[in-house]
Amino acid sequence: MSSGPERPQVVAHVQEPLPCTLFDCKWVPRSARLLCLGSAARGTGLIRLYELRGARVELLREIEKAKPIKCGTFGATSLQQRYLATGDFGGNLNIWNLEAPEIPVYSVKGHKEIINSIDGVGGLGIGEGAPEIVTGSRDGTVKVWDPRQKDTPVANMEPVQGESKRDCWTVAFGNAYNQEERVVCAGYDNGDIKLFDLKTMSLRWETNIKNGVCSLEFDRKDVNMNKLVATSLEGKFHVFDMRTQHPTKGFASVSEKVQKSTIWQVRHLPQNRDIFMTSGGAGSLHLWKYEYPAQRSKKDSEGAEMGVAGSVSLLQNVTLSTQPISSLDWSPDKKGLCVCGAFDQTLRVLIVTKLNKV
Amino acid sequence: MPVWLREYSWRQTGSAVYLSLPLPGVRVTPANIFCTDQYLKVSIHPFLFEAILYAPIDETNSTAKIGNGIIFFTLYKKEEAMWDSLTIENDSKEKLQYLRENAVLKAHEKAKEETEAKKVTKQEHKKYALEATMELEEAGRKRIEDMKEKERQKVTKELELWKKQQEDAEKQKRVQKGRKLHKEIEQLKERKNGRMDKTGILNKGTSETRLKPTKDHGSYSMFSENLKEEQLPAPRSAATIKINFTSRVFPTALRESRVAEEEEWLRKQAEARRTISADLSELEDLKEEEKNPDWLKDKGNKMFATGNYFGAVNAYNLALRLNNKLPLLYLNRAACHLKLRNLHKAIEDSSKALELLTPPVPDNENARVKAYVRRGTAFCELELYTEGESLKEASTKSLQDYEAALKIDPKNRTIEKDAEKIRHLIQGKTQDS
Repeated sequence: MSSGPERPQVVAHVQEPLPCTLFDCKWVPRSARLLCLGSAARGTGLIRLYELRGARVELLREIEKAKPIKCGTFGATSLQQRYLATGDFGGNLNIWNLEAPEIPVYSVKGHKEIINSIDGVGGLGIGEGAPEIVTGSRDGTVKVWDPRQKDTPVANMEPVQGESKRDCWTVAFGNAYNQEERVVCAGYDNGDIKLFDLKTMSLRWETNIKNGVCSLEFDRKDVNMNKLVATSLEGKFHVFDMRTQHPTKGFASVSEKVQKSTIWQVRHLPQNRDIFMTSGGAGSLHLWKYEYPAQRSKKDSEGAEMGVAGSVSLLQNVTLSTQPISSLDWSPDKKGLCVCGAFDQTLRVLIVTKLNKV
Repeated sequence: MPVWLREYSWRQTGSAVYLSLPLPGVRVTPANIFCTDQYLKVSIHPFLFEAILYAPIDETNSTAKIGNGIIFFTLYKKEEAMWDSLTIENDSKEKLQYLRENAVLKAHEKAKEETEAKKVTKQEHKKYALEATMELEEAGRKRIEDMKEKERQKVTKELELWKKQQEDAEKQKRVQKGRKLHKEIEQLKERKNGRMDKTGILNKGTSETRLKPTKDHGSYSMFSENLKEEQLPAPRSAATIKINFTSRVFPTALRESRVAEEEEWLRKQAEARRTISADLSELEDLKEEEKNPDWLKDKGNKMFATGNYFGAVNAYNLALRLNNKLPLLYLNRAACHLKLRNLHKAIEDSSKALELLTPPVPDNENARVKAYVRRGTAFCELELYTEGESLKEASTKSLQDYEAALKIDPKNRTIEKDAEKIRHLIQGKTQDS
């Protein structure tokens, strides 16, 4: 992958060492500010607000909380409010107003164990329908919350009585193209991926990808579900074509093996839903482009519609760190601007160039 | 014996000597000519010409021209002088020999020096070539670096521009907000004015007209806000979806590369459970499956479920003969004995099971609860048939067991109820006796 003149380049714009462990990093929508969520050395949670200034980031605020914070999202708040929803190591879901962060706007002890992953939908002027937050936890349950309803989740996906639980590692919202439709996709450590339909409150599809599922994302939350990328341990990821569901075979998929190390995150470019970046356990980032097949669906031998998966091509890869890059976020306002956090306690702001020509 | 060549002719100038040597019928090559600064030899089989020169010459610049059957030497003298003769007349053979050897040595040294010089120049050439390639590569790398730098700077500039835009947009928003607030304050003021001026008709007229448009504005904005809120649907009605997981024995995450190892391990575990203590002679006539304690346990469970308690006990007995370290076998046999009213045996088996279920860990919680409950029940039943001291013993033991079970699983209502019942029973009995 030498620097061919037309390939997108990944330019490391800023590198900022942090005094804390970094679990998640997020851009604050409609601004040049970003948030780091993590834990201090003494076992308390930290939210650090930075602003991008020239060739550096400047720390604006540091907020300390009781428990380390694992994940956060702006997905369910309005653009005026921009409240941050976080999940922490104690299983608490909190929504914070960053201007007045002493008391959370909404708080619930949602799970018995650490909340591994969180996602929000219905906010930020994207999509329609009620704002909702979904959390997935090590206690094996996936719960959907509405910030207007206290204490009880509006949907709870839990194992059958007596079933031994598996950790839920990742959750994602999708298919929220009108007020009623919504799906939640959850990935577990035993390789299960389950798709729950919230309109019918049922399990719509499940599959097992033979490796623990680290990260799931739909290419767009607010359209008819188009593509789902699932990344897993052992360096593999799968791209599912979600437009056509076959009654027995489910969704068609294409998979790629990158390196031997875990692929920690996948994030789609907000401005182009066919480009996504995966971050790996060897400190590397890979930028991919999905190409659609000539025909997205075909009929199988019994006449049922079956999806056809396309192909994935690598646009660029770069190794930034020796430690896994565990979190990644594209800026929704500036195309190509992204932030990533790695376990070497460094925050990196990157710029990916030439995305217009891809 | 070589033929000495004596026929030669020579002439000289102040600085050079010209010697011509005829060589009839032989081909001369430069290898045949040997010359040092004071010795000249030409040896071509069978001819030999040798001359010890009168004075030293500069042999590097001197030349030998090989023509048809003749060699023409041009020897440049080191010192400008006229030679009396071409050669030094030499008498002693040793001197001659010495001179010859000297000459050879000198030639040797010269050759060495020449090779050294050649080596040195070769080295220098190599070095030069290496440096040149390094420079080229450096230039290439630099070019790439520069391209990258340019990109970086371009992108940084764009970012700054975008940031400025953001800030401007925010400022605009703030200004607008300020204006809006200002407007609202104005509206409030006007309304107040309107109310105060109700008495004055003229004023009322004017203030009313002023009020109307602003009021309309106010109501319009209120409406739009209400609409927005109503656009959000109500929170979903709560529901639960029950799920099953693809079964996995190990608590760790699934990795493809480890699957083979894990299967190996499980297979070995299953085999280890098969025959721990086996009396092979008795068991030879049994079928393969009947030697597997797991299979026998399943068989026993099935028979228990259908009500065939004796059969179940037999199955468990055989399984225990094969492997007497499985606590579940004792546990299930205790249940059978309970059903068969063999209370003492039930108590024995539950105790054995509890022994085997140490250390107490969350994994065998369920089994331990069952064991305590069964033993408690057995004690309870026992007391219905005993009297006196042993009665008290039985009931306290029973209560202890139920409490232990409750400790492990505090949320189980049936255990609670049973424990309560026993407590009442004990209190009642002690009151009686």
